[in-house]
Amino acid sequence: MGINFLKKRAEERFNVEYVPSFPALAVICILCLYAPMAPLLFYSFNDSTLLTVWHGFSWQWYETAWNNERVQEVTFRSLGLAFQASLYSTILATMAALGTTRVAKYRGQGAIYAVINQPLMVPEIVTAVALLILFGSIKVATGYQGSAYLVLAHTAFCIPFSYLPIRARLENMNLTLERAAADLYASPWRTFKRVTFPLLFPGILAGAMLAFVISLDDVVITEFVKTPGKDTLPTYMLGELRREVTPEINAISSVLFVVSIMLVGITFLISKKK
Amino acid sequence: MRQIKNSTIVCSVAASMLFASQSVLAAGELNIFNWGDYTNPDLITKFEQTYDVKVTLTDYDSNDTALAKVKAGGHGFDIAVPSANYMPIWISDGLLLETRPDQMSNFKNVKDEWTNPDWDPGRHYSAPYLWGSVGMVVNTDVYSGDINTSAIFLDPPEELAGTINVAPEMGDIIGMALYYVGSEPCTEDMSYLKKARDVLMAAKPKWISMNYSINEPFANGDISASVYWNGDAMRTRLEIPAVQYGFPKEGFVLWMDSVVVLKDAKNVENAKLFQNFMMEPESAALASNFAMYGNAINGSDEFMDDVLATAPEVQIPAEHIVNGRFIEMCSPEVNKIYSSIWTEVMK
Repeated sequence: MGINFLKKRAEERFNVEYVPSFPALAVICILCLYAPMAPLLFYSFNDSTLLTVWHGFSWQWYETAWNNERVQEVTFRSLGLAFQASLYSTILATMAALGTTRVAKYRGQGAIYAVINQPLMVPEIVTAVALLILFGSIKVATGYQGSAYLVLAHTAFCIPFSYLPIRARLENMNLTLERAAADLYASPWRTFKRVTFPLLFPGILAGAMLAFVISLDDVVITEFVKTPGKDTLPTYMLGELRREVTPEINAISSVLFVVSIMLVGITFLISKKK
Repeated sequence: MRQIKNSTIVCSVAASMLFASQSVLAAGELNIFNWGDYTNPDLITKFEQTYDVKVTLTDYDSNDTALAKVKAGGHGFDIAVPSANYMPIWISDGLLLETRPDQMSNFKNVKDEWTNPDWDPGRHYSAPYLWGSVGMVVNTDVYSGDINTSAIFLDPPEELAGTINVAPEMGDIIGMALYYVGSEPCTEDMSYLKKARDVLMAAKPKWISMNYSINEPFANGDISASVYWNGDAMRTRLEIPAVQYGFPKEGFVLWMDSVVVLKDAKNVENAKLFQNFMMEPESAALASNFAMYGNAINGSDEFMDDVLATAPEVQIPAEHIVNGRFIEMCSPEVNKIYSSIWTEVMK
């Protein structure tokens, strides 16, 4: 017993993966990240128009939000936009990931990697202003005012978020199976379709879901790029904050929060699956 | 595989359709760019039905966002609703169409005091939308003295000390402090700027907060007075009847948002119709009822909710309105001094 204990201690001590008090640190981190959300969730059930004075439990703000036509309209628009942006960005990101991992090393590979991840580094407001000016001149030249601008912008900044999980997955897949397929005279396309793609699929799905959440949450770029009548849920909420803030905003935020957490959670589970 | 493909296509088509603009059945179109949570849906419906025009409403969250988007060009909007202090920029940058609302048929309904504002002389560009003020919100159960003075927050009476909230609005607060020391906002006279700073710094220990919310702190009893907007003052009074709204005699701040037509508007005629429409008593009342602020149109009272039509916060008595003033944007030099005063106050 005593010896086993000492052995265990020794193992922990010399195990590089062991970090003392890690559980405590993890709890503190999670608390710091999520504790500020608790009052938001709590007061979304408040039976009062006041934000922080508790009157009793009620679903009324969820009902109000659910029945608010404007909220319905912008929610559907946000979902449609997130769907399209994540679809296109994932297709592009998959191609980019294949092009930067499944090929012989070439000059400029590092630069390409940096360029693909540029939206992660550049402050959002810079991208927003740049797009405002660029799309402004396109709008003047063509007169087109549809939703393609938002789809393009969201697709662009979602690419790195789709790219990273796909690339990570590819780097963990060695080339043996693909080589075997090639040895058996499978064409590159057939190899991709029958071997690479099925193995890569969890990574692609994870990338798509992450992109979906990122698109769903975006405010700054959307606010500057949106054309007439194209408010999304976040930009609508931003506008609502100008005057009296009612717990309706809490209710909408809570739903958005829970949906985002769920998607990110699913993404995590999918990408963990071997 | 094929099935997956098909369902993917169906999904993306469905998504595209969700996203496509609604079919336009009406004879014309109008794109309105207005503050979020500021346009009554009934007002839009009424306009659409009266003129057979399909209205598309888009929100903005600040004067700066609206200005940036319109300046970039190709925005696709016909109407915007800028605030008074931004109006000179819109006009001098050539962003507006000179639609001459002053010659429109409903201009006769505009209350005299709003027909010739400094920021749009003669109203060649703008039709009034809504307006309000920044004044003193005081719980008269706690303090029963004169509330029509900035001394409420700049030289607080004993009863209120330690329970005062100040809206964190640099321009308005320093402006009111300058009125209080006998000067004007944006003055370049350093001696007055210094006085205003001293008054603010001396009063500061007697404030409890500088926040954007007063409804709940009043309800909780955390604050008994605040410098704040009249709309919120009214909402607070409806819950706590002792809360009254005072108009500082030294000078208080007015704001007004106005309907303008953009120079590159595609639907100019409909936009003009909308400007004229907003000067009808019933339309102005609809806008007021939704946003809970006053309008500038004679005869709108009878269409307004009773709460608004009788609210002393909204219907400013004539003896006080003369002390209300619009604050313009200060010069960059004065702005620098404002900022350093403000940094000190906010510390």
